[in-house]
Amino acid sequence: MNAPTDFEVMILVTALIVLTFGYTLVKFSWNQPLRNGPGYFWGIEVPEGFYAGPGRAWLRGYRATLVALHLVLVVALAGCFALKRWNLIPLWSGGFSLVYVPAIAALSLWSRHKLGTKPPIRAVALSLESRRLGDYISWPIEGLFAAIIALSWWLLLRHGPKIDWLSPLQMTWQAIVLPFKVALVRSGAPLPAERTEEHYRYQDAMRRNVIQVLNAMGWLMVVTLCGFPLRQIWPPTAFPSLVWIFLVVFTAVFAYMMIVIFRGQRLASTMGRDLYPIGSFITPYSGAPWIGMSRPYLIWLAVWFGGIMALALYSPFR
Amino acid sequence: MFLTLQANDKRPIYQQITDGIKSLIAGGNLREGMTLPSVRQVAGDLGINLNTVAVAYRQLQDEGFVTVRHGAGAVISARTLHPVDGAELYQPLRTALTQLILNGLNNREIEEIVREELTLLQQKGGAE
Repeated sequence: MNAPTDFEVMILVTALIVLTFGYTLVKFSWNQPLRNGPGYFWGIEVPEGFYAGPGRAWLRGYRATLVALHLVLVVALAGCFALKRWNLIPLWSGGFSLVYVPAIAALSLWSRHKLGTKPPIRAVALSLESRRLGDYISWPIEGLFAAIIALSWWLLLRHGPKIDWLSPLQMTWQAIVLPFKVALVRSGAPLPAERTEEHYRYQDAMRRNVIQVLNAMGWLMVVTLCGFPLRQIWPPTAFPSLVWIFLVVFTAVFAYMMIVIFRGQRLASTMGRDLYPIGSFITPYSGAPWIGMSRPYLIWLAVWFGGIMALALYSPFR
Repeated sequence: MFLTLQANDKRPIYQQITDGIKSLIAGGNLREGMTLPSVRQVAGDLGINLNTVAVAYRQLQDEGFVTVRHGAGAVISARTLHPVDGAELYQPLRTALTQLILNGLNNREIEEIVREELTLLQQKGGAE
């Protein structure tokens, strides 16, 4: 069996990404602000009749942004193909996430800020269950994760006289998700005094789901990172099956990550039904923090995202 | 296990936390050896200052209800108060009774309220 060419690999990865984006757009993103039911928009309580009046414009604006972002994606992809710049495909997929995630997050925060001017004040309950890191994070797995990264770099430096350090560095940087997981375990959102147990279970399920997504994302990056030294040690011409094995593993981890994401979306819809969305009310003492929106989380998010942006922007100019 | 903090409660937050935990200890919900969540977790979940929670925990520690161990957090250490002077023990009750009398309640009504509150506390905690 011959090893697939770089072009074929890129076609496969592109097809995978396009399919996933398409499915996500149709199945989840299109109605994302309506996820909490007709009484809410982006998790903010809206008055009755909102969707017959201003709600339509809000929803139209959101969907127009969504379509515009996907059009940019399509045009950029068409550009890559027209110019036959296959090496830009990873930048295209990563670049889309770098544009899409902040754009949608900013739109959501702005919508919440504009609509949630007078959030209801609710009595809150405090959970007296201790959340221990070990209950959410498997330290042996984290150790294995770190060991594989270290081994990959050791192999790269040992076997590569002139290594292309940028891509492995990008993968390594993106794989460092442990600070997010720690911050997620340590942070929470206020629990309403009504149906406290259900709200608690819902929050915990969401927390665990996000940690699972982060785990899968980390492994996706590690698998990709492993590919660099392995390709140097066993070139595709000598071991064509290695490329296929890599592709199968990559696709499996990617599929797992997407399944976990979709499962989280479904969980949010089923478990969160008739519950107060996180951040939809304020406590008698202060604004209600969002789960994972703690200061350490936000600081690391800025550092992490900033690092990815810097590496992505450096990439075309080196 | 949850501690409900009322929106219209006039007491400071640290006092509500302290009193709430004491109530759960009295009701038998929080037993000796059980660990309370960390100060950071409570502060993060409620969106309040770390110091506010620390004050509540310190008060519980000073009164002998919890022991704070480094690494283990705050652990429930006792279900009863250290022996105190009778007058000191009854003073809050006298204050509360005075308040009820000044609000125009007669003895029978006050007895009824006390009985109801006691039953509620026992039902909530499952105490003997």
